[in-house]
Amino acid sequence: MSEPLQAIRPAVVIGGNRIPFARSNGAYSKASNQDMLTAALDGLIARFGLQGQRLGAVAAGAVLKHSKDFNLVRESVLGTSLSAQTPAYDVQMACATGMEAIGSLANKIKLGQIDSAIGGGVDTTSDAPIAVSEGLRAVLMDLSRARSTSAKLKALSKFRPRDLAPHAPGTGEPRTGLSMGDHQAITTKAWNVSREAQDELALASHKNLAAAYERNFFDDLITPFAGVSRDTNLRADSTLEKLATLKPAFGRNLGADATMTAGNSTPLTDGASAVLLGSEEYARENDLPMLANFVDFEAAAVDFVHGAEGLLMAPAYAVARILERNNLTLQDFDFYEIHEAFAGTVLSTLAAWESEDFCKNKLGLDAPLGSIDRSKLNVNGSSLAAGHPFAATGGRIVATLAKMLHEKGSGRGLISVCAAGGQGVVAILEAR
Amino acid sequence: MADKYLELVNSGFTKNLAKSLGLPRPSILRRHTPGAPLVPGPLLLLGDSSGAQELADTLLAWGLDVRRHAVGVARLGGIVLLLDELADPGELSAPMLAAGAALRQLAPGGRVVGISRPALPADAPAVAAVRQGIDGALRSVGRELRGGATANGIVLAEGVPATAPSALAALHFLLSGRSAYVSGQFLAVDSAEGKLPEDFGRPLAGKVAVVTGAARGIGASIAATLHRDGATVVVVDVPAAGDALAKVANQVAGTALQLDITRPDAGEKIIEHALARHGHLDIVIHNAGITRDKLLANMDAARWDSVIAVNISSQLAMNEAFLAADLPGLRIVSLASTSGIAGNRGQTNYAASKGGVIGMVRASAAAFAAKGGGINAVAPGFIETDMTAKIPVATRAVARMLMPSLMQGGLPVDVAEAIGFLASDAAAGINGRTLRVCGQSLVGA
Amino acid sequence: MSARTRVVLAAAPSLATLYARAAGARLTALFPGAKPAGGALPQVEHHLDGLRVDPGKLVDYQRMMGDTVRDELPSVFVHGMVFPLAMSVMVREDFPLPLLGMVHLANKATHVRPISPAATLSATAHAENLRGHRAGTQLDLVVEVGEGSEVVWRGVSTYLARGVWPGAGPGAPAEPHAAFAAPGRTASWKLAADTGRAYAAVLGDYNPIHLSAASARALGMKRAIAHGMYLAGRALAAAAPHGTGYDWEIEFATPVFLPSTVDVAFDVGAGRTTFSGWGARSGKPHFSGSITAL
Repeated sequence: MSEPLQAIRPAVVIGGNRIPFARSNGAYSKASNQDMLTAALDGLIARFGLQGQRLGAVAAGAVLKHSKDFNLVRESVLGTSLSAQTPAYDVQMACATGMEAIGSLANKIKLGQIDSAIGGGVDTTSDAPIAVSEGLRAVLMDLSRARSTSAKLKALSKFRPRDLAPHAPGTGEPRTGLSMGDHQAITTKAWNVSREAQDELALASHKNLAAAYERNFFDDLITPFAGVSRDTNLRADSTLEKLATLKPAFGRNLGADATMTAGNSTPLTDGASAVLLGSEEYARENDLPMLANFVDFEAAAVDFVHGAEGLLMAPAYAVARILERNNLTLQDFDFYEIHEAFAGTVLSTLAAWESEDFCKNKLGLDAPLGSIDRSKLNVNGSSLAAGHPFAATGGRIVATLAKMLHEKGSGRGLISVCAAGGQGVVAILEAR
Repeated sequence: MADKYLELVNSGFTKNLAKSLGLPRPSILRRHTPGAPLVPGPLLLLGDSSGAQELADTLLAWGLDVRRHAVGVARLGGIVLLLDELADPGELSAPMLAAGAALRQLAPGGRVVGISRPALPADAPAVAAVRQGIDGALRSVGRELRGGATANGIVLAEGVPATAPSALAALHFLLSGRSAYVSGQFLAVDSAEGKLPEDFGRPLAGKVAVVTGAARGIGASIAATLHRDGATVVVVDVPAAGDALAKVANQVAGTALQLDITRPDAGEKIIEHALARHGHLDIVIHNAGITRDKLLANMDAARWDSVIAVNISSQLAMNEAFLAADLPGLRIVSLASTSGIAGNRGQTNYAASKGGVIGMVRASAAAFAAKGGGINAVAPGFIETDMTAKIPVATRAVARMLMPSLMQGGLPVDVAEAIGFLASDAAAGINGRTLRVCGQSLVGA
Repeated sequence: MSARTRVVLAAAPSLATLYARAAGARLTALFPGAKPAGGALPQVEHHLDGLRVDPGKLVDYQRMMGDTVRDELPSVFVHGMVFPLAMSVMVREDFPLPLLGMVHLANKATHVRPISPAATLSATAHAENLRGHRAGTQLDLVVEVGEGSEVVWRGVSTYLARGVWPGAGPGAPAEPHAAFAAPGRTASWKLAADTGRAYAAVLGDYNPIHLSAASARALGMKRAIAHGMYLAGRALAAAAPHGTGYDWEIEFATPVFLPSTVDVAFDVGAGRTTFSGWGARSGKPHFSGSITAL
């Protein structure tokens, strides 16, 4: 078992910034990934006065990327007032992109390789890359390789009108053809998570997020963008009654057992986030706040392809491992930030940790990890209310949790983010 | 120069056309550019009071070409009238006529600055008469000047010499391009407090300044000006304006603080941010303000109350926080408006709030002085901003030319320059005052 | 086996020619007595040497199945390579059943070991085990694929000639299908209308029942149906092991009309994966099968 890297030197969360998340094809429909990531970085730079600074690294990513965005993060950095000598690179780990980017940067800081970094992510499903069909692509590639006119004509002769149909990226898992929601529907049913429980979680998310806005919690976490200053998915006036009227959107093949609706699932969303990390020395030298230590993070993956495990259950495994490595129990936390891809994901994960069978046979533990105090779960709202621009969610959560811990002044928080491909990244933050 | 009209009447064929048609031809004002000479030619120092030689020596030390008469000078950059020891209206004749004789030599963008004493109820009537007379005379000079030249006065409290730091700083400001849109105004120097900057190009070096309402318009210009003058700037605006605010912060290499200043803890939040991130807080510019115009006959409570809350109540509350905190030498400059002096149709709420600012700074001066600081206000007249740019071109041209002596609207930077001056340590002797930046508008003179 | 007469083909027969011949045979079959119904299977085996993989087709196949392009022949691709040889047995003049309209009932194969795309292969095909079925007559078509002297692949395809009773007439009626209860799905395949054409373009099987609604209707189907081996290929691409040999089998229950969505369940056990597919909309079973590592 690997040792926690905390022993080397702490990596500190200094603060974060995101643009409000907007439902797909809404306020940000004209914005590109680069536009949004640049805006998130600009806001962060402005908040912490980083203009002209050469940071150790900027790492971020997007799940849905145009081919022109091959160097998305570096291009974004060049559009900001950071020193042009700041290196940057793209990371991609589906919905865990932001977590992986931030965690890896924290490791570099702990190792002393860098002193400061920005990690984050961005995604748009409004400005999604549309690819030409395989047929047209083949024709175009042949055409570009053809030297003679006759070879060009020959390449063109292979073109068929049906090749004009564009290919948009699907939300389905490539190996199963099932959408993420349909996958979660299988898991939701397997863990007997009720419709009511899911709707209650969704309602709590909206109420918590709205309350956080009301108490100006996000004043130093969000910078408006394109005329939007609040997450557009937020429905502060939502009620259980309204949520109960929604028809199932996923797992409709389950008939009466279909419980997942548009209300207890996250919608497609556009947005970007960024988190400033540094060593203690960097923070002190620059008079920057230290909100929390980024203690540790862990990735896990499950074999969902043939149904051995639910697509979004990897964090359940990752948490067991990170707890053991850090000598902690599931109850040793003051805040739990469990990404609400679907209400069913959160509730299935909680149920799994409570299950003796799961913890024994899947996690190899002697006893269940147990229950958590639900009043400590997603206390300032999560993805069901805020939305979930895939790669941007990690940055949203890390910044939010770090601020919550700093406000409390003590304790630790657990982050859990599930991702496509049966993966998940979890992390532990500690107040300071 | 963004203004089409100003450009047209000052260049080429259209200049002659405008001349022959008798159209008003506002001048392109002489504004501050770093490194430019203080005045565009030799400086004529008139008046023979006891401090004249010392003042002349100081001006010479600034590198100015100081003359005691205008003979043989083709172009004068400015005229300084030292009138602080006049005791009878009859004594005004010599210096005023000498100045008058030199006026034709005054270069475009030239400056006339009178230095005098305030007329107080306890003064001998003749003394009070000449002092008050100077006020009227200088304002009239301002009206007479063309070519972007201005006339202003410095009023020294009894016992304060013309070479007191704030007197010199005020003189420097009024001679410089920084006071381009200030004319017909009097800066009162109340004490010999203050310290001249080592470098007049960076008078705010090492200072930490907070500017509220900094996301756009005058606020953004203030942030840029304070940054240029050496300050580290914290820009503040409502969270909803955060994106524009971030741009300003990044342009001035400052930090952005998204904050609704009407929050009860706004003052504490500002102090906390400034101290934590920059170590101290030296300057606060209360710039944030809103308008909700409506004739009083049609006014509703929401319009009235929100304007009062943002424009004056928030400042009162924040000032209490600043006074309660340990912020030695804190200098505050607050945005008033000529509407608050002269009134403006449809702006009863706004005028109440801006008049309120003038009253507030006057009444807060002692408290801030006790902390080694001070508080003043700047009252802009017609300033060209994003907001006024929406007024149709012709209407705008007429509106701004009818009123001020300078026959044009000011720019945000003109307001910002006045604020930068009042925020500087050199202005420590000026306290509780309101300086108008209005191009010598007719209203509320 | 050795009792059969070996017919060595000079080159791989063209499926288009074979289908044309089969269509002709079907026409003649409309006239009673034209086909030697009631006959036995010809005691021959067709043999072909020098089979080489077209690398372009292999890549197209692997892409079509959503598999990774790698240097191993997929088992269904091997089936596709030797399918014309198997067909050539069934279109012989002395073959007792009409080819067109024949229904593919099941398939099993032993993929003895990984086969390199660079290999030069030989193949031998024969028909056997003619027997009754409640709906007609069924038989097995057996193909062995060799590399040098080693058998590397052996497949058995079971076909049904519907409504043809060459022997004693209808066999005993099969027990009625047990009501099908779909298991929990682990995958879902969206099959486009051109799935049959795409498969045909890669593996050359231009059987009209797969190509378009019109061509399928000409043969009595209400719409085009997916190739059974396409479904098998999808299942193997998803679950077949790599770097080792394996047995696999698939049984077809009802045809997959195109376009359609097929829900699929995989159940992974120790060394053995079972799978089944059914209509996402209809709930009708389409196929089931298994893959067992050797």
